[in-house]
Amino acid sequence: MSTTTLSAVTGQPPARDLTDGPTPGFGRALQAEWVKLRTVRSTGWTLLATFVLGAGLTILMCGLNADWLASPKADESPGSFITWGMMIAQICAVVLGALVVTSEYSTGMIRSTFAAVPTRGRVVAAKALLVSSVLFVVGTVTALVGYAGGNWFLDRAGIGMPLEGDVLRAMFGSGAFLAGIGLFTVAVGFILRHTAGTISAVLALMLILGNMVNLVPGTLGDWLVKLMPGNAGSAISTPVSFNPDVLGPWTGFGVFGLETAALLVLAWVLVRRRDA
Amino acid sequence: MIRAHALTKRFPGPDGDRVAVDGIDFVVEPGRVTGFLGPNGAGKSTTMRMILGLDAPTSGSVTVNGHRYAASPAPLREIGALLDAHAIHPGRSARDHLRWLAASNGIPTTRVGEVLEQVGLESVAGQRAGRFSLGMGQRLGIAASLLGDPPVIVLDEPVNGLDPEGIRWVRKLARELADEGRTVFISSHLMSEMALMADHLLVIGRGSILADCSMQQFMADHAASYVRIKAPALADAQTVLSGRGLDVSQVDAELRVGGLDAAGVGELLGASGVVLHELTLVRASLEDAFMTLTADSVEYHAHSGAPVLEGASR
Repeated sequence: MSTTTLSAVTGQPPARDLTDGPTPGFGRALQAEWVKLRTVRSTGWTLLATFVLGAGLTILMCGLNADWLASPKADESPGSFITWGMMIAQICAVVLGALVVTSEYSTGMIRSTFAAVPTRGRVVAAKALLVSSVLFVVGTVTALVGYAGGNWFLDRAGIGMPLEGDVLRAMFGSGAFLAGIGLFTVAVGFILRHTAGTISAVLALMLILGNMVNLVPGTLGDWLVKLMPGNAGSAISTPVSFNPDVLGPWTGFGVFGLETAALLVLAWVLVRRRDA
Repeated sequence: MIRAHALTKRFPGPDGDRVAVDGIDFVVEPGRVTGFLGPNGAGKSTTMRMILGLDAPTSGSVTVNGHRYAASPAPLREIGALLDAHAIHPGRSARDHLRWLAASNGIPTTRVGEVLEQVGLESVAGQRAGRFSLGMGQRLGIAASLLGDPPVIVLDEPVNGLDPEGIRWVRKLARELADEGRTVFISSHLMSEMALMADHLLVIGRGSILADCSMQQFMADHAASYVRIKAPALADAQTVLSGRGLDVSQVDAELRVGGLDAAGVGELLGASGVVLHELTLVRASLEDAFMTLTADSVEYHAHSGAPVLEGASR
């Protein structure tokens, strides 16, 4: 057991002033969060699941449906299938966004975090930036691999799509949608501070409520469908949406972005006000 | 240096607010080990969380080196804290836990290896912290508090879960840190532990400061001492001692004499030719003194009426 004294180890006296060494700012908080993200297994598993489900299911669905889509009986567009797996991959993005925040609350580590970075807004911003960047890259790559595999089947059926226009937009749009979902979930995570609660709340809002508002009658129902975050945000991730009633890809993504921004502001306010 | 002024924390509850910390004032000076002692629920951890800016005071203030914790440009280089051993992600290795902490405050990564060696965890540094025993978790927490080589160190119940060797190590470490001129603030609910570690004592009960004095002063004030006498002719001895104005009482087959040391009592009785079978200076234990002092402020009592002082701190 080593019990070397501190001064022997560091060779400097304590109680010095803190002008030595640079003052840590947002970059430091970002670095710390990056180390955290890389050093838990759940990150790797979640991103692997995003890729396998996102690309794999797209290829599978295109492979199974290519002949039907090429036939005159088809009432869907192949453009709706070329990013099919991303609908499932978004669940992984929710899990990643939640764990990055709520695992700190469940383990008590959030206190270490806020003691190290007392400007709490930096912690929120650093986590948001990292989660969205990672998901944007992984989401875009996943969509491109899914396209490459899926389009091979569509090509053989004679309905292949070139990687341009709406198809190309949907590739980056898939990354952007996953990034947005990650941000959305990070915000909810800071608000609810509970893993299961956060994942259920976001999935319920995105997947279940998004469909249930169809039952609201009249124009109100139509608008609710358009404005629900999952419906508004997902249009950008596919060349042709399954649901013809949703907002356009860019308008929809703008609405989703505003909703996410509102939640992030709420998270920021609560994180600063609440005891850790 | 840590300074609290009228520091107050109230938690809202179903039957009105619960006052956890009730307008306390104190100063924790550098160069000595200050023990923060109190029964469970006395407000120790709440106070420490307020020092670290984790809980906001309801009113009053607490500063570290003259400013609020959050105003520190690099908090981990200014104040190192062990909050509780579980403030660690179980899936992350000890080394990675220290690495992100170092990154957050611009601390050179070479410090990670140094503190791991210092707390004796270098051989398990790559293991996931979730597999650590409570004692290893405490050592990792202490490593984290030393990471920034800070002039102020705050340890909340550092000996919880440590084996005797580990407890001795914490004691020695606290002494070394104080001798280097650092401010060392250590909480405990165990008086016996504080008696061996602290130079200065801050006793808290039900959110109020009950004592703020040196360890020696605390012993003199609260650990009452008396001289125990056993003699075949107790009545004679009592007459002699009472005649000198001493405070004498008989308990069973012994006399208890206050106000004079054993040598003085022995000489008085020898001069009067009283035969003695026993002459002993008895000092009440600090544990007893602490119990007496905090008896009214203990949050949870066992049914026997004895204060419950063991167990978890929260």
